[in-house]
Amino acid sequence: MLLHVVNRSPATSRVYQQALAGMAPEDRLLLIEDGVQGALPQLVRYYAGLEGRLFALKEDLESRGLLGHCDASVQVVDVDGFVTLTEEAERTVSWY
Amino acid sequence: MQEHHDDCDLLLILRHGPHGSSWLREGLDAALVAAAFGRRVSLLFMGEGVTALMQGQQVGPLGQKGTAATLEMLEMYDIDTLLVDEQGLSCLGLSSDELMLEVECLSPSALARVLSGHRLVLTF
Amino acid sequence: MATTEIYRYLTIEKKTYALDPEGYLVDMGDWSPEVAEALAHEEGIVLTAEHWEILQVLRDFYVRYEMAPAMRPLVKAVGQALGPAKGRSIHLMRLFPGSPAKVAARLAGLPKPTHCL
Repeated sequence: MLLHVVNRSPATSRVYQQALAGMAPEDRLLLIEDGVQGALPQLVRYYAGLEGRLFALKEDLESRGLLGHCDASVQVVDVDGFVTLTEEAERTVSWY
Repeated sequence: MQEHHDDCDLLLILRHGPHGSSWLREGLDAALVAAAFGRRVSLLFMGEGVTALMQGQQVGPLGQKGTAATLEMLEMYDIDTLLVDEQGLSCLGLSSDELMLEVECLSPSALARVLSGHRLVLTF
Repeated sequence: MATTEIYRYLTIEKKTYALDPEGYLVDMGDWSPEVAEALAHEEGIVLTAEHWEILQVLRDFYVRYEMAPAMRPLVKAVGQALGPAKGRSIHLMRLFPGSPAKVAARLAGLPKPTHCL
C-alpha cells in the first residue's frame, strides 16, 4: 500500500488526476497545503471512489479556516496522523 | 528478460515537457546520476511529460539546449525501461509510434502496478 | 560542467587558453591536439595512439549527446567504438589514472562530466 500526497487544489490543478491514475485499489491519498481544498463538499467529488482512503491534513485545513467545512467522507489527520500514515505505507509518492 | 521493470530500484515520473521549466531536465539528471551509480532506473513519462519524446525537437528560441540529446543518451546509461502513460498520449492526440524512442505504453490500470513495483518513486 | 569562470591560463608557445578552476577549457573551441598534449602533460600523461582513440570517442560522444559521459557510459561508448577489449574500466584506468571520465574529458576539451561525483 502506497501513500499518495497531493498539495494542489483540484479546482486549479489537474495533478489530482495523475495521483488517481497512479493509485492502486488499496492505496491512500492525503491532501496537504492547497490540496486540502479538495476536502470541501463541493470539490470532494473529484475523489469519488476513495471512500475510507481519503485524508486531509488538519493543520493545513485549520490555517485556511476550512477545518469545519470538510466533507464527512474525508478523514482529518494531524501531523502525527500524517506520520502514522507514512509508517503504515510501504512508500510515499508526492504529486505536486 | 529477467530484469523486468518490476525489479527496478528507482522509478522516475516525468510530468513536464521540455523548455517550459527545468523539471524535465532535473528529472533526467536524477536518472543519470542514479544510473551512473549502478542503480536500475525506469522512466515513466506521464501527462504533459510525454511531449519530451516528440521527434524533431530543437533548441529554444534563445538557443537554450533541449533535452532530446539527453534522451538519446539514456541507452548509454543502460536506462532502457521507458514507460509512457497511454492517457497522456491520447489527451494530446499522439500515438507511441510518433515518438523518438521505443517505449512501452501503460494503460491506466498498469500505472498503479508500476508504481508499487519499484523500491523508490520520485516525481518530477 | 564547465564554468565560465577563468581561473588560470594554459600557455603554449605564447598563446594562452583559459581554464576553469578544475582545469577544463572555458571555451571548448580552444581545443586542439596541442592543447590536449599540454593538458596531458599537467596530468603526467604522454598521449599515445591508445589515448587519442579514447579522446576521439569522447568528442564523438559529446557531439551526439551534448554531454560528457560518466564512467559507465564512457566504458560502454569505448566498447562500442573500439571493441570489447578496450571497453573495460581497467583499460581506461591505465590510460587516465585516477578518475578516467574526468581526466579524459578534460584532455578531450569537454566540460566536466555532470553525473559523476
